[in-house]
Amino acid sequence: MKKRIVLDWALRLAVFSAAVGLWELFVSSSQNFLLPRFTDVTKGLFRLLFEARFWEALYISNQALIFGFAISVLIGVPLGLLAGRFRWMDRVLNPYVGVLLTMPVAPLIPIVIIALGLGIAARVFIVVLFAFVFITVNTRAGVRGVEALLIEMAKSFGASEAQIWRRIVIPGAMPAIFAGMRISLGRAITGMVMVELILVASGLGRLLLEFSGRMQSDLVFATVLAVIIEALALLAGMQALEKRITRWAPDISIG
Amino acid sequence: MIRVRGLSKEFGTIDNGSGVLALSDIDFEVHDNEFVTIIGPSGCGKTTLLRIIAGLIPFDQGEVTIDGRPVTGPGPERAVVFQSFALMPWADVLANITFGLEVRGAAPEECRDKAKHLIKLVGLEGFEKRLPKELSGGMQQRVGLARALAVDPQILLMDEPFGALDEQTRRLLQEQLLRLWEEQRKTVVFVTHSMDEAVMLGDRVMLMTPRPGRVKEMIDVPLARPRSPQVEKSSAFVEVKEYLWENLRAMQANQA
Repeated sequence: MKKRIVLDWALRLAVFSAAVGLWELFVSSSQNFLLPRFTDVTKGLFRLLFEARFWEALYISNQALIFGFAISVLIGVPLGLLAGRFRWMDRVLNPYVGVLLTMPVAPLIPIVIIALGLGIAARVFIVVLFAFVFITVNTRAGVRGVEALLIEMAKSFGASEAQIWRRIVIPGAMPAIFAGMRISLGRAITGMVMVELILVASGLGRLLLEFSGRMQSDLVFATVLAVIIEALALLAGMQALEKRITRWAPDISIG
Repeated sequence: MIRVRGLSKEFGTIDNGSGVLALSDIDFEVHDNEFVTIIGPSGCGKTTLLRIIAGLIPFDQGEVTIDGRPVTGPGPERAVVFQSFALMPWADVLANITFGLEVRGAAPEECRDKAKHLIKLVGLEGFEKRLPKELSGGMQQRVGLARALAVDPQILLMDEPFGALDEQTRRLLQEQLLRLWEEQRKTVVFVTHSMDEAVMLGDRVMLMTPRPGRVKEMIDVPLARPRSPQVEKSSAFVEVKEYLWENLRAMQANQA
């Protein structure tokens, strides 16, 4: 087990070094002086860490992310559970799920802002629009995947519908719910940055616009890097939680 | 006492009106403390019949009563042991065993005490915290059996409980079930496709024919209790088994 972890990290580091190496090579062979080297980006990130406006921006952006993601879970999981357990609910929701899955959200951002203004409500709404449907789809699949035999078993002991939900359906769907949350976290982060970039100049998006306006490409990359690091940290936290809750499931996630 | 009268069950009637008759005019009784095994070729509806007695699926005609009360759904006097175990993969052995108790509202202390006793009874000491996937098939079914016994039912309904196990494990579990039955003398309805199993365990064997499922015959098994694995060598055992095979072979002659 320990050996495997060491090997994993060695390989990850190798991939990382190769990518950084290619990056450096590309930049040094390019005539374009606006392209930052990886070392410049790292330095830029280090500089940002000591700037109040970076932390302010991070805080502002995360408000939209956290509220938006929480609301996505609160909407997405129940809808998915209902669609998974009740055929009629599934039939009603199916076209809307299709729309939400395929619809490009970015063009809707201006409309949402006209409707909800430039405040946090609009940003949260966009994040939810980006994220929640993936939780719904996965939760529904998870519920469908719960063995019918387990539900029959519960009924044979006289379990009520509420007991079947609590003891069988929800625990059985848990791994799929987590898979959905992982996908939608990525989508939520995309949504968060995109809305700030496109219309509501606030948070990290505003910072990115400022940096690129001043041609500080190292800082643009550094900000993106910060977003990536945060996303990885959030995913790691979620995976730790997932491992504790779904210790029983066949290991499908990367840990 | 379980009493089944004129029971018929059709499948697929909702869509086109002309469904498949799974069970036709089934009549039989199972007395208190009796062990009845049900055997028949596949398609004879034996599992369907068990599920009807369990109250898990409805039926079309006839009546099913337990101590005179009609069966309209699952009830506290019955518990089912399933062929593919039906254990919750996320719950450990202990939690699986206490599932029925908890669903029926037993206090946590009662669950703990009963589970402790049952774990000992089925020989799973030391495995309380294991997940089903960490157990062998035989151990998983012992959890399934313990879960059913935990609610202390009068009637145990067993649907090919050892059908998914290898032969050696199956025989060990049969012996264990025989010992448990001697101690507890519950009423048991046990569906199987193994002739050895049907004769070894049952006081009576109910022989069914397929398409539609009917009761062909109720056969008394003239073997004394308690039974040891040695009964397999007795002439009575061999005779009943031969008789079953003659009948089953005749039913399957043009299907195998």
